[in-house]
Amino acid sequence: MPEVTVKNLAKTFGDNSVLRDVTFTIKDGEFFTLLGASGCGKSTTLNCVAGLEQPTEGSITVGGRPFVDTSAGVFLPPEERNLGMVFQSYALWPHMTIAKNLALPLTIRKVPKEKQKTLIHDALDKVGLTELKNRYPHQLSGGQQQRVALARALVYSPTVLLLDEPLSNLDAKLREQARAWLKRLQEELGITTVYVTHDQEEALALSDRIAVMEGGNMIQIGTPSEIYERPAAPAVAAFVGRCNFLAGRVVGQQGKRYSILLDCSADVVQVDSDEKLPGGDSVTVAIRPERLEVVPQPGTASGTNHLKAHVLTSSYVGSRYEYDVRLGDQVVQVLSGQGGLSGEVSLVFEPAQALLYADEVELPEEQRDLLTVSP
Amino acid sequence: MSTLTQPPRTPAGEHEKTFKPPRYRRPLGIGRDQVVQYGVLAFLAVLVLAPIVPTLYQSVRNRPLYEAGGAFTLSGYTRLFTDAGFGDVALNTLLFAGLTTLLSLAIAIPMAIVVVRTKLPGGRLIALAMQWPFFISSLILGFGWIIMYGPAGFVSIQIQQVFGGVPWNLYSIPGMALTEAVALAPIAYVFCAGALRQSDASLESAAQVCGAGPLRILMQVVVPLLRPPIVYSAILVFSVSLETLSVPLLYGQPVDIDVFSTFLYHNGLQSVDPDYTMLGAASTIILFVTLSLVAVQAKLLKDAARFVSVRGKVTRPRKLDLGWLKWVSIVCIWLYVIAGALIPILGLVLRSFTLIFTPLQSPLKTVTTKNYEIVFGSDNYVQSLWNSLIVAGIGSVTISAIAVLAVMVARRSTFRFGRAVEYLALIPQSLPGIIIGIGFFWAFALAPFGIGSVLQGTVYAVIIAFGMRALPSAFGSIAPAIMQIGGELDNAARVSGADWVMTFFRVLRALVTPAFAGALVLTFVIMLKEYSPAVFLSSADNNILGTTMLSLWTQGRAGSVAALATLQIAITAVFVALAGLLMKGKHHA
Repeated sequence: MPEVTVKNLAKTFGDNSVLRDVTFTIKDGEFFTLLGASGCGKSTTLNCVAGLEQPTEGSITVGGRPFVDTSAGVFLPPEERNLGMVFQSYALWPHMTIAKNLALPLTIRKVPKEKQKTLIHDALDKVGLTELKNRYPHQLSGGQQQRVALARALVYSPTVLLLDEPLSNLDAKLREQARAWLKRLQEELGITTVYVTHDQEEALALSDRIAVMEGGNMIQIGTPSEIYERPAAPAVAAFVGRCNFLAGRVVGQQGKRYSILLDCSADVVQVDSDEKLPGGDSVTVAIRPERLEVVPQPGTASGTNHLKAHVLTSSYVGSRYEYDVRLGDQVVQVLSGQGGLSGEVSLVFEPAQALLYADEVELPEEQRDLLTVSP
Repeated sequence: MSTLTQPPRTPAGEHEKTFKPPRYRRPLGIGRDQVVQYGVLAFLAVLVLAPIVPTLYQSVRNRPLYEAGGAFTLSGYTRLFTDAGFGDVALNTLLFAGLTTLLSLAIAIPMAIVVVRTKLPGGRLIALAMQWPFFISSLILGFGWIIMYGPAGFVSIQIQQVFGGVPWNLYSIPGMALTEAVALAPIAYVFCAGALRQSDASLESAAQVCGAGPLRILMQVVVPLLRPPIVYSAILVFSVSLETLSVPLLYGQPVDIDVFSTFLYHNGLQSVDPDYTMLGAASTIILFVTLSLVAVQAKLLKDAARFVSVRGKVTRPRKLDLGWLKWVSIVCIWLYVIAGALIPILGLVLRSFTLIFTPLQSPLKTVTTKNYEIVFGSDNYVQSLWNSLIVAGIGSVTISAIAVLAVMVARRSTFRFGRAVEYLALIPQSLPGIIIGIGFFWAFALAPFGIGSVLQGTVYAVIIAFGMRALPSAFGSIAPAIMQIGGELDNAARVSGADWVMTFFRVLRALVTPAFAGALVLTFVIMLKEYSPAVFLSSADNNILGTTMLSLWTQGRAGSVAALATLQIAITAVFVALAGLLMKGKHHA
């Protein structure tokens, strides 16, 4: 079964470089997600795998078969790659019935008519739409179209399934159900799957592994929990989930535990990190809103780091409370199960709950303005 | 769930499936998609260059191309300006084209503003009436104008009887320009009206809120925004009137006024021993002028995109109320439609049913079908009617198919020369019809393997020339329709295993059909009306309606001309109506 190997993939349009030296390997049967904001190069990467775009440099091999190798001048056109693909718009051929949509790839492969019928029935059965096979695409709802597109991509048993934001055209509620359904189907079939999305929740819920992309670079590849718990760069932490970034300086070290003097409030906090950081260096402490605990002052809660803060706003969002609290001259977001807090509070967190990055985080100006308050 | 129970396949192991991934043969690494794409490029290059290259070549050879033993010479160019008086011709052409441009803009701009932007009774009817030139060629319009407004025209004589004189002279450069302007004003109208419909109506509302009255809004907000379409359509009208043959030929011949096209016509066809070198030189100069106009046009259009602000959100234009001025504009507009187009065409139709057509005697006295009997009684005339139908019929199907191919290659493939295909398909727009005729005439003389002698003088020669001339229109009508079909449909077919060629036949063909049918109707009408490339390619066997009418006209047989013209208009109208019905029926199914 196929293993997808992508090496040193690069793509430029004139002077504009949209992919830079992207390398990754997808294991057989894996659900692999390319995650990133729009314009990060994730769709270009997928299209290069599909053969719809030609990379400027690099190679792609699937199951030992070279698809592209720019150094050897190899380029296999998309029709000979035997892949299945679901497009964002579903791309169902509007003038053909559902059955005919599924029959076309089989006819191209010269599958006998009788065999076609059973294959089409099986594929539609998998997505639960057998009774709709004589309908036209425009007679189906968005969710049904999406499932038909999936059936069409699977009916000829492709080696790899490529999914280009297939859920983004569904409304929020349906999207969650479709997500769970897609996950079950992929596990059942065990087909190697490459999934492109900008929705981090979708990526976390579906994937075996996630590759986070930004500006044409692949900045981290890892399992969902690695990506969430140990983001390799502030950009990953910011994109996957929410994160507070606090600038500071290293003022002390004991083994892996660093003492950091925060710029915003002049507090000293303890943070654990595997990285080697010399004293006096500018660093960034990253901490997710749900890892911060907020307790009323004067706090009696136990914990290593206690920070004095002031509640600016509190909002009830159903399952929990969201607080914006002022820490020195910066706004910090906190998620908490405890409601009704106001005024002076304590922020509490353990050294292992926060992350430490050597580089300073440059926030967009607009965001920085919103997060800065005069004390 | 059959897939669940299947064991995983090994790369080297045998496939459980009864089908394997598609393979396409590529001998020498060349797939059939590339064969088609390079084929389209080569075909278009040959088609477009065929009339141009021999023209350039002839202009520097001292003997006709079909004679052996010519030598290089530049005397054609010198003779052009010394003996032949090409300087005067150029001046006449400039005057004629300039005046035509001014007049047609003077008609079109106010009309577009008034129809699109103000409250006007019958506005929709006027917009519909502006489509009349689609049905009527400028040759037929010229006949109609002469029959009504010429020195011995119906209206002229009537006026002479009442006032004792006629205040106009049709057989002059202003007369030509007025007729041509009437025929070309709808082009400028379409551009301006389109721009006005797209421009943001809230700009006007903003001016209104600031306290500006309707007239001030029109003059200070609406008109300045129109600058790009005005400049663009001015160049278009100018270049069309540079090359037009009909009106200058009909009006200029009796009084010896020559413009570019009639100069080529007279020196190429009516002289006993045509000076082909000089003809080539003249054609080369004219080609240079029209091609550079297109370059200017392309550049302006590119820049114009920066000025025109088209909002994604469509705001329903609020229409201004002009008060009493609205009645003045209505009168002006209907004067244009009725006097410019309706009366001449009605006159032509009436003329075809009478023997003598003059206000001095009631035309009803001589009502007859004799003109039609003459037309249908003569094999030659019937033949030219058939030829026209054959040319339009075969030509429209062929050229629409070629246009679909060209659009597919230019816009829907990764072909590296796709841009070149598009330019080649659009270049004929700037080639004067009469030069296409001369060019193909020479190309047939030069063509290898005796292709030329097979084609020369046949209806196929006419189809090639007319088809080339209709290609840009076909391309222009198909391209936007194909671009509306989402590109992911192609991608889905490609990933499913269809190559570029099969993607077209299996998936896109059905989706492209409506666009193809639209182009078919358009090119049929264009090719039925066309005649100027044919004047150099015609023989006794391949006369078409236009060339027959022209030769009948010079013989003074206006009745037969009127009958043929009426037939041509009727065929066009019936064809368009039928096509409309057919397509509507399809649409509902």
